Amino acid sequence: MEPKEGLIDRPDNSGIIVDLGFRTILDLLPCYLSIQNRSLQILFTNENFRKDFGEGVGKLCHMAYKRSSEICKSCPVQKSFKDRKVHISEEDVQLSNGKTAQLVVYSAPILDVSGNVSAVIEMSTNITQVKEIQKELAFLGQSLAILSHDIKNILEGLQGGVYVVDEGIKDGNMELAGKGWDIVKRNIGEISTIAQNILYSSKKRDPKYQKVSPEEMVKDVVGLFLEKSMALGIQLKHRSNPALPVMNLDPTNIRRMLHNLIWNALEACKKDKEKHTHAVVVRSDFHDRFHFKFEVEDNGVGMDEDAQENIFKEFFSTKGSEGTGLGLLVVDKIVKEHGGWVEVLTAPGKGTTFRVILRMG
Amino acid sequence: MEDPAKIIIIDDNPDYLFTMETFLKRNGYETLTAEDGQKGIDLIEKEHPDLILLDVMMESIYSGLDVCKKVRTNPDLKDIPIIGVSGMGDELGVRLEKWGDEDYFKVDEFFEKPVDKEKLLPKIKELLEEGLIKKGKAVRIGGKLYPKK
Repeated sequence: MEPKEGLIDRPDNSGIIVDLGFRTILDLLPCYLSIQNRSLQILFTNENFRKDFGEGVGKLCHMAYKRSSEICKSCPVQKSFKDRKVHISEEDVQLSNGKTAQLVVYSAPILDVSGNVSAVIEMSTNITQVKEIQKELAFLGQSLAILSHDIKNILEGLQGGVYVVDEGIKDGNMELAGKGWDIVKRNIGEISTIAQNILYSSKKRDPKYQKVSPEEMVKDVVGLFLEKSMALGIQLKHRSNPALPVMNLDPTNIRRMLHNLIWNALEACKKDKEKHTHAVVVRSDFHDRFHFKFEVEDNGVGMDEDAQENIFKEFFSTKGSEGTGLGLLVVDKIVKEHGGWVEVLTAPGKGTTFRVILRMG
Repeated sequence: MEDPAKIIIIDDNPDYLFTMETFLKRNGYETLTAEDGQKGIDLIEKEHPDLILLDVMMESIYSGLDVCKKVRTNPDLKDIPIIGVSGMGDELGVRLEKWGDEDYFKVDEFFEKPVDKEKLLPKIKELLEEGLIKKGKAVRIGGKLYPKK
């Protein structure tokens, strides 16, 4: 029911009155806006909010934005109630159409005549696209850093090869010169690999789909790591559901993705000094009626909340100087190119499962 | 004549191993090579070299970091000079000073790839001499090194 002309009365009698003239202006604002009371109950929402999150009034903020029964970890509204200041945070939310979005949220206190905070106005902007671009740029930047590393290695190879050729010629030792020449040729060949990497990281490419068996791919990639895992004393097993049919996937990229995840899992086990035995299990199985999944599970060090939140957001590595964080970003990129998503189940000290969910077909 | 100094080169790139081995041999050193961290550790424990040339960013499970840790935490090996080598440098914020914070990761010198061989040779000589002094096998008098009888 529409409120009576001029005033909007709110259920908790918080004294917040929104003039209908202002309401029209608030509705027109190109951002999400809500007014909330101390218990984070929504008293007012603008048009944009209602369009993407539903009515909202009367609901708790975290229920309306995230469909979560828990209050957000760094809730800016609570902070504004507490210190009467403006606060900013970034939140992942779920729109009423089921899509997720990233918002930058501002909260500001509304003071009554005696200077007490009677409500908090919360305004947020959808920055999903900005975040995507940021991630792309970070990806590009880090890719260039890795390429620079690769180029230095090739230069090392070329200089070394030339040195050996020179020494061979100096001594009239054609066998030595020949060995040097082989090194030079190999490193020239490496340059073409680098060129491919540049292509991969600098432009959005559509996957080259083929009918392939997920089970075969899991077996292939696990096979590459058997020797390494044995040397580390880590059990590496694969468990695939044989009923899973062949799927339309880009096999090169899916292998690259599995490679990165298994590598990370072995690293996580290697870092764990608490448990006596370590295992990495790689699975392919049905997820639901429309999706199937790849899973890489380890009982390594696991991740804390901070690490978990950051792994796909930016270049983040828990491996210190051993890793650049490129691996998981490549995983994320490949999975997105396939129209899928990644779930991470982890607990510090217990282990991590990366679950890649892709559409069947 | 003195035995030549023994240098272990550890790197996962076989081409690098071959060229560096050729270079050091031609400059009078005895060399041994290992293509991954684990083999490197085994070789160091067996051979007790005078110096280690170590790729700190090997793509093997036992990285240069692990090798360094093993050497620095073993009382018999901890004084062996280590020259760290890597293709990763400033662009990834990977710097010797940063690693120096880790008590077990202390390389004596760091070279970025491609290694400037003209600078590498005098550095090897200097570190080998310091190694001899540390072991009590030589003394430096007036800038010159004299073997201790």
